[in-house]
Amino acid sequence: MTTMGTPPVLEMRDVSMCFDERPLFEGFNLRLDRDEILGLTGPSGSGKSTVLRIAVDLVSPTTGTVLCHGVPVTEYDPRELRRRMILVPQRASMFSGTVRDNLLWGLRVHGLSATEDELVGALDNVFLGREFLDKVAGNLSGGEMQRVAIARGLLLKPDALLLDEPTSALDHEATLVVEDTIRAVLEERHIGVLIVTHNREQARRFTSRVVELNNNNRKDSEDSSSMGVSQ
Amino acid sequence: MQSDIVGIIDQIVQWFGSLDPEILDAVPRYLAALVLLAVLIAISRWQGLGVGKRLIVGTVRGTAQILLMAVILVTIFALRDLVVIFIVLAFMALFAAHTTSENLDHIPGVFRVSLPAILIASQCVMAVAVVLGVVVPIGEYIIPMGGMVIGNCMTLSSLVIDRMWSNAQKQRPLLETALALGASPAQATRLTIIESIKAGLLPNLNRYASLGIVSIPGLMSGMIIGGANPVRAALFQVIVFIMIFLAVTITGFIVSRLFLSEMFNERMQLTVPPPT
Ligand SMILES: Nc1ncnc2c1ncn2[C@@H]1O[C@H](COP(=O)(O)OP(=O)(O)OP(=O)(O)O)[C@@H](O)[C@H]1O
Ligand SMILES: [Mg+2]
Repeated sequence: MTTMGTPPVLEMRDVSMCFDERPLFEGFNLRLDRDEILGLTGPSGSGKSTVLRIAVDLVSPTTGTVLCHGVPVTEYDPRELRRRMILVPQRASMFSGTVRDNLLWGLRVHGLSATEDELVGALDNVFLGREFLDKVAGNLSGGEMQRVAIARGLLLKPDALLLDEPTSALDHEATLVVEDTIRAVLEERHIGVLIVTHNREQARRFTSRVVELNNNNRKDSEDSSSMGVSQ
Repeated sequence: MQSDIVGIIDQIVQWFGSLDPEILDAVPRYLAALVLLAVLIAISRWQGLGVGKRLIVGTVRGTAQILLMAVILVTIFALRDLVVIFIVLAFMALFAAHTTSENLDHIPGVFRVSLPAILIASQCVMAVAVVLGVVVPIGEYIIPMGGMVIGNCMTLSSLVIDRMWSNAQKQRPLLETALALGASPAQATRLTIIESIKAGLLPNLNRYASLGIVSIPGLMSGMIIGGANPVRAALFQVIVFIMIFLAVTITGFIVSRLFLSEMFNERMQLTVPPPT
């Protein structure tokens, strides 16, 4: 499964985090390759969202190393790092304006643009029709917002998607649609997906491997597919 | 003993009598206004507005400051040396930045950020106004106009800082979404900055639009009371508005740029703590 030699998209080695001297977790390891869906679970407040923030250098870990394609994240221009690994935060936020404005927002900050066809294609990736382009983003349902947020990130052609509880606010049906969306994206783009969930059912059904975050330590669980953690 | 007290009272009465009748006329008016202030403070207590202490401190401090100003005003107004005049303006800007940081004492770096903004904007605008011959290059004109310009820069500067800070706390998810898409701090906060500059311009734009009908601004009234030709006073009022708009906008851009480095570190991480 792992292509030997190619460094993983994201690797976290022996990462620990303290807020105000209070340790949140220690010795955390994680490895995310292309073409896999990795789950991250743990009790509320265990630091799952913090792990994702650390991955894209939105916060710096207290100790430990974070690598993107084998290079420490601190050596990247933060903007480039965050384009390569798109974090979709826990509460997917929409900018004011239409879905089109939102899709273009991410491109614009990088000085890029997209044709109408590319925008429609991005929506198609997340199973939304072109009629969504001109809808006001703030009026979308929770599931639609999540999918627009994913499409908005995908337009930046990232190597990985880091999704923070993308379905926690959704009913079962909408959850399945988002899951299908993510699987389809993976198939087409060959990216790595790291998904935070505290739904064990979802983790089992949807991910190929799960990393668990317990307070103050780390435990690899579920599947054993040998990739692993630090040496 | 008794004659001592009588003597002192006598002296005070005499001293009062020796004051300018204009002052004697103004003192009871001032005292009457203090009664109104007391009512306001009572309302503030009662409704929990929480501005009572500030009003009291402001009144004592403001009265002292402006009395001092009144005493030296004649000297300052008579200033002809542009260097000295601009040093006085710089001093006023310094005080404005200090006031801003006092009013926003829960936010770090306010003084460091607002001083250069207010200073640069006011000095540049006043200098250009002098060079272009828009204002008469004497203290009597430059100081009060500069004071108005600086006052407005001060208001805007606290508004921009306050909004940027509270937005970073309240709209954290949106800010994080923007950063997570690779936006720079400037890009992520662009709308907030523009909105707060607009909001800061708005009261003056309203006054500008209703100029002469709803609002008869201070400078014009002052000049007319001082015996200037009303038409001349009116034109100067428009001039001062234009200078205010210019200076305020410059302040807004400088202060927001500088404040970004207080809100984000060089790794483009938000350093504003979450609201407690
Ligand atoms: N910037 C910060 N400053 C101080 N404490 C923080 C900060 N960010 C997070 N924390 C604390 O770290 C802990 C973990 O937060 P985090 O959001 O990572 O947990 P989580 O596992 O994602 O929880 P949930 O499942 O509820 O989303 C919380 O107690 C939170 O209060
Ligand atoms: Mg979380």
